[in-house]
Amino acid sequence: MNPKDKNRISRFTPVQRIFHVGLILSFLTQSSTGLSRLYIETPWGKKMAWIFGGYESCLTIHKYTGIFMLCWFVAHLIHLALKIDWRKFPWSLFGPDSLLPRLEDLGQAIQHTVWILGIDRLIRSDRWGCFKRLDGLLMKITRLPPLNRVNYFKEIDGLLPEIIKPPNFDRWGYWEKFDYWGVFWGIPVLGITGLLLAYPLISTRIIPGWGLNVALWIHRIEAILAMGHVFIIHFFIGHLRPHSFPMDRAMFEGSVDLDATRHERPAWVARLEETGRIESFLVPQASVRRRVIFYIFGYTAITIGFFLLIGGLVNSTSITW
Amino acid sequence: MMRATNKFCRDFLLYMVGSLIGLAILVTSFPKAAWPQEEATSLISRYKGYEVSTGYYEEYEVKPLEKRPLVGVPGVTRGLFPYSPTGAPVRIRTRLADSHQGIQFYSNLKCKDCHPRETRDIHTVRVNLTCRQCHGNEPIASIQHYYSPMNPIRRHAYICSKCHEGASASFASYIVHAPNPAILSTMESFPILFFAFWFMMILAVGTFAAFLPHTMAWGIRELLMKLENSKGEPKR
Repeated sequence: MNPKDKNRISRFTPVQRIFHVGLILSFLTQSSTGLSRLYIETPWGKKMAWIFGGYESCLTIHKYTGIFMLCWFVAHLIHLALKIDWRKFPWSLFGPDSLLPRLEDLGQAIQHTVWILGIDRLIRSDRWGCFKRLDGLLMKITRLPPLNRVNYFKEIDGLLPEIIKPPNFDRWGYWEKFDYWGVFWGIPVLGITGLLLAYPLISTRIIPGWGLNVALWIHRIEAILAMGHVFIIHFFIGHLRPHSFPMDRAMFEGSVDLDATRHERPAWVARLEETGRIESFLVPQASVRRRVIFYIFGYTAITIGFFLLIGGLVNSTSITW
Repeated sequence: MMRATNKFCRDFLLYMVGSLIGLAILVTSFPKAAWPQEEATSLISRYKGYEVSTGYYEEYEVKPLEKRPLVGVPGVTRGLFPYSPTGAPVRIRTRLADSHQGIQFYSNLKCKDCHPRETRDIHTVRVNLTCRQCHGNEPIASIQHYYSPMNPIRRHAYICSKCHEGASASFASYIVHAPNPAILSTMESFPILFFAFWFMMILAVGTFAAFLPHTMAWGIRELLMKLENSKGEPKR
């Protein structure tokens, strides 16, 4: 094969992609059956419940898919245990390849927000002449000769604090880590409250019955948080923002475009090039047929998500909470 | 060596995932879990279910139930409370043989005329239960009246287990007419629900408040950059 064809950089292993596909399928099933039951008073909820065979049948599907998700989560934990470099434990957990949050992530999030708001450009262009005026004021006070105008912006560049520079992302952006830990916390919370609610005769032997009132509300709010986050924020970042539009195939194909990654995650590519491992990360693009499947799958998920999101929002005032 | 280890790891992982999926499929084919209905003795909780149900251990009276949140009139635990905004104060009605005793034109009223909130919960709205299916026919005894089927010492056996076969006294302490978790009076009547609700709400609202504007602005910024790049010379 022509090495020039290898224009993509590998980002996810097949096992990770299988985990994600299983998560998509079970999450959408849980969302639709759960919302069918929550919205059963409305025509929208009734129609959706009809797809799954009615109110009772929704619950059956919801319970067993929930148990599947918990098994999936346990399988993921086993996967993690096998992947961790135990010889260098616990230091191996804190590298840039790890999904554990680091202090840099907070800094990068702030840098990114500053970049999003265009503050660095405002300062560079000196839009309102603040720097010029400040300079003049300083000249008046100190009676020093003016700064070298030619090198003015270069000097400012050096003087700019770290916060105003664009973020130098490594392998995982802070938003990706947030997504990962959101699921990592969400599945146990939803799973435990869900199990308590699914088997009340057994669970009330352990907790008092009024604990189910509490569990129900925790289950509800966490589910709404998860759906809102996935259907709005995760889908927007993965599909709809101009950088990813029409779809970031990374989680399905396993690789991303090298040039785009060099632009978006410069620290990661630089790190790979420095250690000379970049060659082993380069892969060719997937076949057209597979790409078509990825797009169909991705857009089906998005359609279902938006359907649930819009239906849920529109009907939210006409149900008994 | 490394390759062999990797292969072993992969095989082991596949085996684990496969066996988990298999287990999950197997579990679905099992019959429903059933616990014996009679009381069981154990060193940890001797006759606990029996004690909780009856208030007796052998011939001794025991404390029937642990403290539970019971929804009542906020701020009033005994004595007189205003029955309605326009009505005169009446006796606390949770211990009467006929809880609606002395209410004028009672036979012309519907339950929801005076208890509108009690018609808005999962049992009523989703499962379409009527009030009488749990509360019974006239006279409706107060829930704390000693002979009432709704009395917590026998509610599970007389009411809940009509549908929830095998319900225990603990099970029956589920609050069917749950209070609105968001309002301040719930902090008095059901504090755990109130604080759990607001903890989760702050978490959810905080996430959206941070990420919705952030993500939207991110999209706009990338769009502007794209437009700029397509117009003039490429930037960074």
